[in-house]
Amino acid sequence: MHPEDAAAVALARAGDDEAFRVLVDRHSRSIYRLAYRMTGRPEDAEDVVQETFVRVYKQLGRFESRSNFATWLYRIGFNCAIDYMRARPHRESAETHERLDQLSAPASVPASDDLVFAGEISGRVQQALNGLTPQERAAFLMRHYHGCSIEEVSSALGLRSNAAKHSIFRAVRKMRVALQPLRDARVETTS
Amino acid sequence: MTWHPTDDELILHFYGEDAQDERRVDEHLHSCSTCRDTWVEISETLKMVDVAAIPEPADGFERVMWARVQRSLPERSAARAWWAPRWLVPAAGFAALVVATVVGVNYWPAAPTTPQSPSTAEIAKASNGTAWTPAALAKARERVLLAAAGGHFEQAEMVLVELMNAEDGGQTNLWFERETAGDLVTAGRLYRETARQNGDAHLAMMLDDLEAILIEVSHTPEKVGRQDLRSLRARIDHDSVLFKVRAVSNEIRERQRTLSTE
Repeated sequence: MHPEDAAAVALARAGDDEAFRVLVDRHSRSIYRLAYRMTGRPEDAEDVVQETFVRVYKQLGRFESRSNFATWLYRIGFNCAIDYMRARPHRESAETHERLDQLSAPASVPASDDLVFAGEISGRVQQALNGLTPQERAAFLMRHYHGCSIEEVSSALGLRSNAAKHSIFRAVRKMRVALQPLRDARVETTS
Repeated sequence: MTWHPTDDELILHFYGEDAQDERRVDEHLHSCSTCRDTWVEISETLKMVDVAAIPEPADGFERVMWARVQRSLPERSAARAWWAPRWLVPAAGFAALVVATVVGVNYWPAAPTTPQSPSTAEIAKASNGTAWTPAALAKARERVLLAAAGGHFEQAEMVLVELMNAEDGGQTNLWFERETAGDLVTAGRLYRETARQNGDAHLAMMLDDLEAILIEVSHTPEKVGRQDLRSLRARIDHDSVLFKVRAVSNEIRERQRTLSTE
């Protein structure tokens, strides 16, 4: 654990809100990135960040000092994002269908400029992530962006190892289908 | 019979989760062009995911977030103070510092590995692959779709088998089947649209047929009575759904085999 985190956690546990603020300052951006990838919307990501830190505050007494604070925080962040997404099923499913239609529409050939292409990749990746279930999304993001092992993913999400593995497989399958048109277009323009 | 890694094994290989098979997969990829093509496609797709940037929150985000968090914090209970009196804090902080310094625990990376502003070189690295002909592209598209659809039908089969074998003890909990069926409905729509665009009307139709029963399963209550469970099973039996799902799975496997020998 980062020494600053260790000290801040110890103080916050004892009731020092300024110490808790240090933790919010230090980690809110990284939780925002996680939450944005999970929810796909800035305003939802902000709600998830807020809820994550409120939960962290309530559960500080249960945090074991030997553990890594960032690990524990990410775990709570992912679970908050999953709960948040499950709580908005109608909105989610309506938008998911729109996005799936967009995803399967033939991709326009991107401009040769790499930065334009990067923008297109970002949009498509987020759309593809939005097409995953909350569990698949969390498992994939933990494995892909945060380098968690499958064991760590399963423990954080309360899944059996096999279920975590299959969530990642399904996520990658969907990402492959969703990103294929973009990849094709890129290959066609470069070949 | 020659061994070929499955797509899922290649995904594990990409993430370094195949310690036991790593060398075997590497050696195979050197000698098998079909698997190498799949490997290139999987790894390029996943590298493409890597370069996707996300918008950074505005300056002052931390301050605004703290204001929001602070407003939502519960009142501290007086009871909490007894186990963590302030005089313990310096000692606890010091102990944590010592532990952190000595042990140097770094269980989780502090920062995501994804670059926020991908450089041109990174983009080029992620997206430049082998030179593909239109025929090779079509083949790759088909391979990706078949891999996805194959997994989809296998999972649907698993749900249906679970449902057919669920204990008929009055109030049966179908939470898992219901949730998985709901996920499969969403995924199946993506695959069906892709199949249509690839001109694979047959696969699109199969996915369409499967969707009907999956929707039914996803709409069942979490706990079903004996009668409801029996009628759901009767519907699956009557339409020979399981048989059809297995037949399509076999058909997909056959098509995958043919594709890999072409």
